Amino acid sequence: MNDTWIVAEKELRDLRRDRLFALLIAFLGVATLVSVAVASADFRNQLDAYNVYVANLAQSGSTVTAAAPQLFPLKLLRGGIEYLEILGALFAIVLGYGTIAKEKYRGTLALFLSRPVSRFSFAGGKVLGLSIVWLGVVAALTALSLLAVVTIGHAPIQGIDVARLLIAGSFAWLYLVFWTALAVGLTALSSRLSTGLIVALVIWLAFVLVIPQIGDTMDPDNQVPGGLFATLQIQKSNELAVLAQFSAFDGIRNGLEVSSVTKHFERLTFAFLGIKDQYNQQPLSRVWAAMLPYAITLTAATAASVLFAALATTRRTLQRKQL
Amino acid sequence: MTPSAISTSALSRNFGTHQALAPLTLDVPTGEVFGLLGHNGAGKTTTVNLLTTLLEPTSGDAIIHGHSVKADAAGVRGSIGYLPENVQFYDNLTLLENLRFFARLSGLRRPDARIRDVLGFLDFTGHDNHRVGTFSKGMRQRVGIAQAVLHSPEVLFLDEPTSGLDPEGVRTLRETIVRLNHEFGMTIFMNTHLLSEVTKTCTSIGILNHGRLVHHDSLRNTLAAFPADESLEDIYFQLDSAAA
Repeated sequence: MNDTWIVAEKELRDLRRDRLFALLIAFLGVATLVSVAVASADFRNQLDAYNVYVANLAQSGSTVTAAAPQLFPLKLLRGGIEYLEILGALFAIVLGYGTIAKEKYRGTLALFLSRPVSRFSFAGGKVLGLSIVWLGVVAALTALSLLAVVTIGHAPIQGIDVARLLIAGSFAWLYLVFWTALAVGLTALSSRLSTGLIVALVIWLAFVLVIPQIGDTMDPDNQVPGGLFATLQIQKSNELAVLAQFSAFDGIRNGLEVSSVTKHFERLTFAFLGIKDQYNQQPLSRVWAAMLPYAITLTAATAASVLFAALATTRRTLQRKQL
Repeated sequence: MTPSAISTSALSRNFGTHQALAPLTLDVPTGEVFGLLGHNGAGKTTTVNLLTTLLEPTSGDAIIHGHSVKADAAGVRGSIGYLPENVQFYDNLTLLENLRFFARLSGLRRPDARIRDVLGFLDFTGHDNHRVGTFSKGMRQRVGIAQAVLHSPEVLFLDEPTSGLDPEGVRTLRETIVRLNHEFGMTIFMNTHLLSEVTKTCTSIGILNHGRLVHHDSLRNTLAAFPADESLEDIYFQLDSAAA
């Protein structure tokens, strides 16, 4: 059996019985599901109110056809995506850190390194194991969210919606693997266990919270609740004309936002799920065409993070930092 | 003449400007139980780490059962067993799962029969499906010995194996070491502080003082060179202080 798979298999078995892991995943799951469930309940109320209104109209003998509310089931997942963005990344760091830190302080790392194993089997096994864990978590969250939307929201879900959800789920998996692999690499590189965790948390703080927040704050449309342009009843064409006057400012704002991997993940999932109005009900081919650069960047960032973990967690580095 | 299981030539290790191990030339014949003695910080663990390929030497080389730690580290790893000081194992895994993991890493494809043999040899049966996290220090040390000998290594390295054990645990471990040596001809290299254990277990000893090997001989010769009423402890302090 391949050394990498032996390590991955052990990691999966170890995590399955780990109470902290179970607690973190349960917390993430509950937060995501509560968010989706609340949005679904609201969706159902709006739908029910419309149906009651239509029934009342018909009962009163009115021939007026009331316009149906613009309700899109996949938009209900917004809160869940935001939890994955922030909490998911944080828990991915904790998991990546924990898997290396435990080996170091328990002394099992020395045992591992005294075995005739290949150079990258330790890092490879750890990252592979954690990637499988995140695949399971994302699949479970996706399935449960979908179930909540259908059962609580009574929302009609079509095949194309499932496809969009699967694409968004794939990006969520890449995003979580990025943070886990980064934490694995940083913890392996640091002589003091806490240093790896602190550095990873500082990066998380900067790229998950601070940079996207600065970008949001700089966005003129975010200056008024509900949107500046919508409040002023400015049409989209005029909005673009106004923004064209501030192209340099908007370039800086956008540049700042896209420096964060979190913003890439957010833009991708919001586009494919139709949370961003611009992409709502658009054919997948059009969304793909617009989102391809973001998809490439997120994939490249994850690949770079995995490569970093592999290079930082070689036998030589571990020996230098551990012994 | 018995071939050497461990042979070092001017093996040394520096940490920055600090010389943890001065050039060490040492031969441990096959089938010996070698005890490396020395005060804290003398370089005992550094020596074991170099011989088990956990550290790279600054200069010199060591040949372990025909494999060079510099040129053929993988060959060394395949022919040794190693038990670090105070190792803890994977608490969430059972005894069997822990041992399967290390056995597979050592190249055993279907290790269960071998694991049962080893646990039987160590008189450590009935705990296969218990989580290691529930084990006492003495039980963990037996897990440590088990994982170290699963792949039938030619040379076994033990770093302070009696550290933290109660008297019963010390005695059990001592008996295990002697049986591994007698029944399987395993060469054993151990670091220890317990001089009383050395006299009951080791066939040859070395004394390290501030990274330098100040004494190396068979236990019998060492004891014979001093008056009969002197214990190994007295002899150790004399040799150690003479070197200082």
